[in-house]
Amino acid sequence: MSENHYTFRIQRNRKAADGRIDSRWVEYPVSATPTTTVLTLLEEIKGEQDGSLTFRQSCRSAICGSCAMKIGGRTRLACKTHVESVAHNGVVEIAPQANQPVLKDLAIDIGPFFTRIHAIRPYLEDGPDTDLVLEQSAYDQVNHVTQCILCGSCYSDCVMAEVSQEFIGPAALAKAFRFVSDPREGQKERRLEQLSHPHMMWTCARCAMCVESCPKDVKPMEAIVKLRTRGIAKGLKDGPGPKHALAFHHDIQKAGSLNEFTLMMRTVGILGTLEELGTAFHLMKKGKVPSPLPHKSKGLEELAKIYEILEEHPLDVETKAKEVVPE
Amino acid sequence: MQSHDLLIVGAGLAGMRAALEGVKAGIDVAIVTKIHPLRSHSCAAQGGINAAINPQDSRNSHAYDTVKGADYIGDEDAIELMCDEAPEAILEMDRMGTPFSRIEGGLIAQRAFGGASFNRTCYAADRTGQVLLHTLWEQLVKARVKVYEECSVMRLVTDAEQAIAGVVAYDIKTGAVFPLRAKAVLMATGGYGRVFLSNTNATTNTGDGMALALRAGAPLADMEFVQFHPTGLRTSGVLVTEGARGEGGFLINALGERFMSRYAPNKLELASRDVVSRAEQTEIIEGRGKDGAIFLDLRHLGADKILDRLPQIRQLSLDLEGVDAIHAPIPVRPTAHYSMGGIRTDKFGASPLHGLFAAGEAACVSVHGANRLGGNSLLDTIVFGKITGRHCAGFVKGESLRDFPASEVAAVKSNLTALKARTNQGVRPIALHHRMAEGMNLHCGVFRTPEGMRAGVESIPSLREDYQKIHLDDHSDDFNIDLLRAVELGHLIDLAECILRGALAREESRGAHSRTDFPERDDANWRQHTLSHWDAAQGIVTLSRDAVRTVGKSDYTPKVRTY
Repeated sequence: MSENHYTFRIQRNRKAADGRIDSRWVEYPVSATPTTTVLTLLEEIKGEQDGSLTFRQSCRSAICGSCAMKIGGRTRLACKTHVESVAHNGVVEIAPQANQPVLKDLAIDIGPFFTRIHAIRPYLEDGPDTDLVLEQSAYDQVNHVTQCILCGSCYSDCVMAEVSQEFIGPAALAKAFRFVSDPREGQKERRLEQLSHPHMMWTCARCAMCVESCPKDVKPMEAIVKLRTRGIAKGLKDGPGPKHALAFHHDIQKAGSLNEFTLMMRTVGILGTLEELGTAFHLMKKGKVPSPLPHKSKGLEELAKIYEILEEHPLDVETKAKEVVPE
Repeated sequence: MQSHDLLIVGAGLAGMRAALEGVKAGIDVAIVTKIHPLRSHSCAAQGGINAAINPQDSRNSHAYDTVKGADYIGDEDAIELMCDEAPEAILEMDRMGTPFSRIEGGLIAQRAFGGASFNRTCYAADRTGQVLLHTLWEQLVKARVKVYEECSVMRLVTDAEQAIAGVVAYDIKTGAVFPLRAKAVLMATGGYGRVFLSNTNATTNTGDGMALALRAGAPLADMEFVQFHPTGLRTSGVLVTEGARGEGGFLINALGERFMSRYAPNKLELASRDVVSRAEQTEIIEGRGKDGAIFLDLRHLGADKILDRLPQIRQLSLDLEGVDAIHAPIPVRPTAHYSMGGIRTDKFGASPLHGLFAAGEAACVSVHGANRLGGNSLLDTIVFGKITGRHCAGFVKGESLRDFPASEVAAVKSNLTALKARTNQGVRPIALHHRMAEGMNLHCGVFRTPEGMRAGVESIPSLREDYQKIHLDDHSDDFNIDLLRAVELGHLIDLAECILRGALAREESRGAHSRTDFPERDDANWRQHTLSHWDAAQGIVTLSRDAVRTVGKSDYTPKVRTY
């Protein structure tokens, strides 16, 4: 395979004397075949052009989670990213992970990310004392989320983390689901109750960025949706999150479309709605406020059948995993 | 000055398992690790972990396979201990939350592995190391063990009586150099794959613990025994699990022949690793390879089985070789993988240096002898992590903290300052590393010639000389990976010397050590361990020998080793 010329445009970050980060972009020329990994080329630059270029890496095989960084605008593992797949007109832009404090160049402070993971109590609680014989399919749900290597890619690309540092983030929630879905876990209800608190599972905007950016196909958002479903099933219906979801569900099942006029009221109540009046007027000016009159969609019988089938044969569309956990 | 009863260096499986045992025993235990625990290379182990948990299997059979696999130079007391403790160690991990794959009926699934007379390798798909590592980390968080994260140990400190007083650590994040006192230090720093240019290991596997122990006066054992894994990816060297052959994968040469029938007519692809690697190398040397590789063929397993049992392997082959294992054979070759040698210990992990212990790949207990069986390294970490942790807890109860000479911290600081202040004398660290590691591949690979090994030994003084000329581009204090790698390179050169000298001295072929001039095993003269010592006065590695610990069972009497 012939070699192409690429320009690595790398964000170099240094801590200044006052503790702030000085940031500048530096370009490095490299030659490589299209399937060379970005990590290989970063190592080449560090080894032969500038030894002070700083980044974390270790296993070279997408299993240790050290080398997650922004490559071509998205967070990826440098060790499994082919250079050609992220080059735009021959330029590969590289920056540290977002939503976290930068230490130096491409290395971030991993402390805040792991504090979030620690917060969900990342260990099996009240596990079995005796050796367990389990269904062959017992870990179908668990297996998907235990693929997570806690590299932080999803948190770096999370749009909710961008607007709120308080959000626990997709990786921590996927880890929480790992325990909630484990047949051996003894504290499922307590976990779901805590996950219903503000800044936890109901804060996710379901934009699916985490599903897109995960290098291990963990699909954190799917785990979050499953946590929510289980929370509601356990009667954890207080708060705007579950109320919104239930109102949504009710409208679609009954009318085939949303009654957006009353949706706000049912989600955050009268006081909450009053607080949002400004937004409502703004929308009204732009002609974006829907008709207050309820209407029904056509073909509701078909919709009813879809609901019926799904309720009879619950299927995890994304992971194809059966629900086997004794609740 | 911070102090702990037990200081564990390294947070892979062995280190974390030992820490949990320390906590259980009620001692003050802390871990120092240069990378976050979850980044440890234990996560890259794929295929599985051996234990005789099936009633039709037996611990004796596991022990016998291991003694034979080790080519009769493993320490039999330690091997029997490991195989006896294996089932309980696995079930403990299961209870802690490791999601082992299950068979119908609900028991832990087991697959075939090389050199084993029973399908006794427990697994979680092809990411067994990762799930074990995450499980132990979860327990570490639960037990609130103190971890000095991203801190590298620069020196192992002893007192005037040559007993362990602690370590000098270097905080990578800030550049701070600080002492940590301890009654005992347990090295669980893993292997040294980076000694070889082509290797399956993480770039952080630089054998730091072994090199620190050597310089502190502890002997290393059997360093000439380096395992070459039969299936490293051709380009990157990244590992493809033996489990791929355990699930039925074939090895084929460029002509499409399943060549293992010529080398191991009974076990074929599942002969022990030294045998398979030699067979592959022979095929390549005799011109039946392609671009320096032969092929691992999984196509006949079918897409379903590949995706269910070996999903990660398929993805890695796609990402790193551009080959989809469902449709095409994967190009692989023998690749430096594992160190059978390490810090010499007894079966409880104690080294001859008072207060120094070792476990996992950093140690030479020795359960792997001249050739480790697949699935026995994860087991080694879990079992001897536990045993050594428990033993350390007992040890520290009768000990008090030793005097920690303040000069040690000052010495490390001045070394690092001098290294950073070096002016450009024309030697880049990466160039020196490349020269050393390429030489090791060339002179101390699967087949070793006397001329090659001699050339290797003779290259050491010039490597050491040039090491004094390397210069850094990064002169800052915080997160100076340039500096860290320069220190690691010093460790690698020490270990390369141990490997080369050990290999040249051992005039026989045994396990992974295969000489063209001495093709036979020589039990009369060489059924012994090699010990490497650091001779500070001369600045070289010297050798001595140590007896193999036998238990007197007739089954373990050396015989011709065929598969």
